[in-house]
Amino acid sequence: MTKPRLETARRYELVAETLRANIAAGRLPPGLVLLEGPIATVMKTSRAPVHAALKILEEENLVHRFEGRGFLIGKAGARVQPIRRDLAKQGLKISEAIDSALRNRGLWEQVYDEVETAVAACLIFGDFRIVESELGDYYGVSRTVVRDVLARLHERGLVTKTQSSHWVAGALTAQSVRERFQLRQLLEPEAIRLAAEYADYDRISRAIPRERGGDNATSWSELDRLLMEYCIARGPNGQLIDLIRQNRLPLAAAARALTKLGLPKDEVAAGEYLVLFDLLTRRAIEAAATYWRNHLTVLAEKNLARLKIVAVIPDPPPRPPYLSPRDPQE
Amino acid sequence: MPTKPSKSGVAAPAVLRRRTLRVLGTFISLLEAVRVRATADLGFDIEFEVLDFPSCQRKAALHPEAFDVYDQTFHNLGIVWHWGVLQPIDTDLLKSWPSVGPLTKLGGVDKYANRGAGDAPRLKLYVQPDHSLGPQPTRYISMLPTVHNFDSFGYDLRAFNGEGRPRESWAMLFDPRAKGKLALVDEPAIGLFDAALAAEAIGVLTFHNIANMTATELVALFRFLRAKCDEGFLLPCWTTGDEAAKLFRRGTAVVQSMWSPAYNQLEGAAPFIREAVPEEGYRAWHGGLSIARHVAGAQLRMAYEYMDWWLSGWAGAAMARQGYYISAAEPVRDYLSPAEWAYWYDGQEASEDLHGVDGATIVAPRGKSRSGGAYPERARRIAVWNTVMDEFNYATRLWSRFVADIKAKAR
Repeated sequence: MTKPRLETARRYELVAETLRANIAAGRLPPGLVLLEGPIATVMKTSRAPVHAALKILEEENLVHRFEGRGFLIGKAGARVQPIRRDLAKQGLKISEAIDSALRNRGLWEQVYDEVETAVAACLIFGDFRIVESELGDYYGVSRTVVRDVLARLHERGLVTKTQSSHWVAGALTAQSVRERFQLRQLLEPEAIRLAAEYADYDRISRAIPRERGGDNATSWSELDRLLMEYCIARGPNGQLIDLIRQNRLPLAAAARALTKLGLPKDEVAAGEYLVLFDLLTRRAIEAAATYWRNHLTVLAEKNLARLKIVAVIPDPPPRPPYLSPRDPQE
Repeated sequence: MPTKPSKSGVAAPAVLRRRTLRVLGTFISLLEAVRVRATADLGFDIEFEVLDFPSCQRKAALHPEAFDVYDQTFHNLGIVWHWGVLQPIDTDLLKSWPSVGPLTKLGGVDKYANRGAGDAPRLKLYVQPDHSLGPQPTRYISMLPTVHNFDSFGYDLRAFNGEGRPRESWAMLFDPRAKGKLALVDEPAIGLFDAALAAEAIGVLTFHNIANMTATELVALFRFLRAKCDEGFLLPCWTTGDEAAKLFRRGTAVVQSMWSPAYNQLEGAAPFIREAVPEEGYRAWHGGLSIARHVAGAQLRMAYEYMDWWLSGWAGAAMARQGYYISAAEPVRDYLSPAEWAYWYDGQEASEDLHGVDGATIVAPRGKSRSGGAYPERARRIAVWNTVMDEFNYATRLWSRFVADIKAKAR
C-alpha cells in the first residue's frame, strides 16, 4: 500500500500509520487490547480519527474484533488471550515526522476548512482563480502551508491546476452536476449491495420519523449523509467508498451554499430517502439498490433545477481576496 | 392605516378602504394605460411594480409576500416555480381559459408550424401531479398565457444597401459592414440566443441543441464573442427598448437585437430600419400571469378577475399597438379598428395611418405592412424560444462578465 503524504494526510491516516509501525516493531504485542480513548489521549487527537484508523487496520488484518470492547492486535482467528495494559506505559513510539505533522495539523487544517468553505461557496458563481501568494498573505502562512491546503483541495476535486500552473476553482456547471450524478448511479447502488452485511440498520431505522412531514422533517442532504455514513461507508471496498465520497464532495458543498441562499426544503425528496431507508431496514437490499438507482435520476433533475435558481442572485457573497474571477477559455 | 384624530378631537369617520391587487412585472405589459383601464373596469385598486427581468425574478423568489399577481414569461417561470412562491391556477375558475389559443395549449398554431427549440410555453403550462411543470394537460396551470411575440433583429438599410434587399439571416449581426455598430440586448436568456443564432448562421459554431447548450458549447460561444469584441464589432449592450430605439435614431447601431415597441420610437430613422425575417426563424417568447402562493379568499377572486380581464379584449388591443400578440385574439377584434386588425394580425398594408398606445404617435403610416406577414405565418417560423437552459446559471455568470468587459472596453 502507498504511504500517505504526511503533510496532507488526514489525521486518521497518521494514527493508522503510527499504530502500524508500532505493531511491526513489536512494541504492541499480539493480543493487546486497543481502545479508542487511550490511543486518542496518547496521540493528542479526538476519537473519530482513531475509530477510522482502527477500521483500516482491521481491513488490513492487523487487528480484529473480539467479545470485549475494542480490538485485539493480530489476525482474526489467532487464539490469543486479551492483554489489558496501559498504552501510555507500552512505549508507543510516534515518529518525529508524524508528530510534527500532527502538531502542524492545527494550522493548516484550520486554514483548510476556511478555504474549502470559501471555494465551495463560489463554485456556483462561475470560474475563479486562486492566487497562492494572496492566500498566504491573507492567512499569514508560509507557502508550504498554502501548497498543502491546495494539494488537499485538489485531491478532493474542488480545484484543478491549469497548463500555466494556475490553481482554478472551476464553476459547478449543470454538465458537471449531471456527470457526478451519473457516477453516483453507477457506484452507489453497487456500494449498497456490498455493504449489505455491514450496514448499521439500527441507526438507519432511527432516521425514519414516526410521523411523516412536519416542520422538523430532516433535510434530504442530512439523509444523504446518513446513507453514506451508516450504509455505504460501512462496506468492505475502501477504494469504492473513497471514490463515492470524493464524487459527492462538490455536490454537497454546492447544496450547502444553495441552502444558505434560503431555498425552501424539498419535502418530496426527503420522503424518497425515507422509502430507501425503509427498504434497507427491511433488508430488501436488491430492491433498495434498484430504487436508489432510479431515485438518483430524479434527484439529479432537482439539483439542476436548484442550480438554475442561483442565476437570479446577482453577485457572489463577499469573497476573500485570493479568489479572483477568471474566464474559462484562458 | 390608523385614523388620524381630527382637529375637533373627534375621530374622523371610518373610510371604507378600497381593496388593492398588487401586480409585479416588467415594462412589457405593465403600462400605465392598462392599469388605469383595469382599475375602472374591475372596481378595485391595482398597483403595478415595474422591474427589469432579473430584478423581477429576484423579487418574486425572495419576497413572495410583496405581490399578488406575477406578470412574467414562461421561459423564466421555472425558476420562481421551483422556489415555491406561486400557486397552481384552477382553469375551472378561469372564464377566459377556453379562448386561449393553440400556440400554448398544443405547442403550435397548426400542425405544420415549427415548434421551435427550448422553453416552449406548452412545456411549462400544466401543473403535474408531483407539482412539477409539464405538457400533460391537467386542470391546473402555472401561468395564464397572455402576450407574446416572434422577435428577430433590426437593421439599417443604409448600411446594407449594397445588395438591395439582402437575404435576411442572423448572420447579418456579424456582417463586416456592421463592424463596430452591433448591439445585443443585455439579458442572458435572450441576447445570448441572438448571438448564438448568429454564430451558427455564419457557420463558426454548431450546437447540438441550441436551446440547451452544454458548458463546453457555452465556453466556445464566449470565446467567439470575445474574439468579435476584440475585433471591435460590439457596442455596449442595451437594456431597455428606449435605449435600443435611440441607438438606431442616432445611427450608433446599424444592426441589433430589437423588441417590437422600439420600432415605434424610431422617428426620422423609421423608413430606413427594417425588422428582419431571418431565414433561420424567429426567437419567440410568451408572457403570462401567475398568482403568489399566499393569495387567498377575496384577494384570490380579484386575481382571477384580473386575469380574465387581461384576455377580454381591451388589454390585447393595447398590446397589439405595441406589436405584441395576445393568447386570446378573438375578443381583441372588438377593440381594434378593422384597419388595425388587418395590419397587426393579418399582415396587410395599413389602409390608413395607425396610432400607438398613446393614440397620438403614428406607428404605421398608410401603406406600410408588418414584416413577416400574418400572425400564423410568423408563428410557424419559430427557431427557438427564449429559454432558461440547464446551464442558465453558468451562462448568466459568463454573460454578465462579458457584458461588463464590453462596457469597460468602450470607455
